[in-house]
Amino acid sequence: MNKVLITGLGAVSCFGLTKEDLFKGLSENLCGFKKFESWSDIKGLNCHIGAEVENFDNKFIPRKKRRSMSKMSEMAYLATLDALADAGIALGEIEEGHPVNPMRTNLIYGSTTGSPTTLESFYKKYFESGGEGQLSTSFFKVMNHSVAANVALGIGYRGPLIAPSSACSTSNQALILGMELIKVGLYDVVVVGGADELHPSSVGVFDIVHAAARGYDDKPHTLPGPFDKNRPGLVVSEGAGVIVLESESHMKLRGGSSYGEILGGAYQCDGIHMAQPDQKSMSETMFRAIENSHLSPHEIDYVNAHATGTVIGDVLEGKAIVDTVGSKVPISSLKGHMGHSLAACGTLEVVASLLMAKEKKLIGNRNLTELDDELKDSNFLFNDENLAIEVFLSNNFAFGGMNSSLVVRCH
Amino acid sequence: MLSKEDIIVRVNETFVSEFEIDPALLKPEANLFTDLELDSLDGVDMLIHLEDNMGVKFDSEVFKEVRTLGDIYTKVEQLIAQHPEMEKRNSDTV
Repeated sequence: MNKVLITGLGAVSCFGLTKEDLFKGLSENLCGFKKFESWSDIKGLNCHIGAEVENFDNKFIPRKKRRSMSKMSEMAYLATLDALADAGIALGEIEEGHPVNPMRTNLIYGSTTGSPTTLESFYKKYFESGGEGQLSTSFFKVMNHSVAANVALGIGYRGPLIAPSSACSTSNQALILGMELIKVGLYDVVVVGGADELHPSSVGVFDIVHAAARGYDDKPHTLPGPFDKNRPGLVVSEGAGVIVLESESHMKLRGGSSYGEILGGAYQCDGIHMAQPDQKSMSETMFRAIENSHLSPHEIDYVNAHATGTVIGDVLEGKAIVDTVGSKVPISSLKGHMGHSLAACGTLEVVASLLMAKEKKLIGNRNLTELDDELKDSNFLFNDENLAIEVFLSNNFAFGGMNSSLVVRCH
Repeated sequence: MLSKEDIIVRVNETFVSEFEIDPALLKPEANLFTDLELDSLDGVDMLIHLEDNMGVKFDSEVFKEVRTLGDIYTKVEQLIAQHPEMEKRNSDTV
């Protein structure tokens, strides 16, 4: 089995357009939440806050590449350029770096759906005039593999491409899939990405099931964070995270360096309920990921939780983590800082966790002031801690009972 | 009724705003595909943008023979002359 190394990182988040911006925002305990006044006009929507990627000027992308991209593809494209430059490899036609054999590479990118912004404008026009007046490029923004295909077109990549989609588990699942493909020797390099763009319909999806934060429209930065006793629910955000995976032999041959190694992972559908998480299934997934990594639970040094801030999900995941790795392991979620970026959160959180390990600084749960009563006697981080870690586990869970856990050894 | 000059201004505005083409290249003899580097997708969307910007409805079949920017000026002028109701609609929307 090949070792699977992480050799490049790219991140576009509510804190900026680079991975450095991401870590700086987290380190400074910033919060990307803000109120969107226009959302108040949407009938039935009870949450009007989100976290967006601001000051994103897409004009750096040539028009013929940009015309089929929505914001999620544009963010993924930018994060891809950064990740490939970070790794020092040239996957397509436009980057500088070590050239790779495209038939020994794979691109695995996903989003929750195609562009919700374009879907809105497409159907608005559709209901007004049917097919008349529809731009030819609209479909390329709403098709399910829009992000993957647009990134490939953007960099001029010709080779295998997969576009998995499992909502909030998308990019964590994509990382595990990439790891498996390299482990068995099918590919030398797999570039993995997840992206989503902020749209009130995404907020509405969570609001319908009472999972979106209510009551904090005018004070979003004070919103009690994940695992807090008074957490009101989640805040939707946007972004893109891209990670370059590479076999150890390929990286050594070209003289590259790595942030860490993906040791193992597991993804499984609980087959129980579309919306209600299941504690036992989450714990099983974490156990399988640890087992798949040939480790024991006590070897996990830190858990980056999915914890979005929902009343039910946080407590069940928290208990499942403690069931799996014990009560001493530090646990935090980054969604109190940057919200829930849906398909992007898996890769973004792994990028952030690797940077935490590099800087020997664990980012705590933002606005965790009083722990949920059901999570007592455990190590949920109230504050940042200067702590060196070697191995972390990262969770992401999604509607449809999609559970995923990934284990990474940091270098 | 839109003058020929008005039509040229409107068409050129569309090419600059939607296809980000350097205004200096917008000459009547400019070939849409070789000089202005439009492709088949741009061709489809060009009609929609022109319709939106000029308030008229184009028959895509008529535009199949269009090759230069000057051809577009002429087609739009003919269309407006043949369909005064469009010109009225157009005036209303200006």
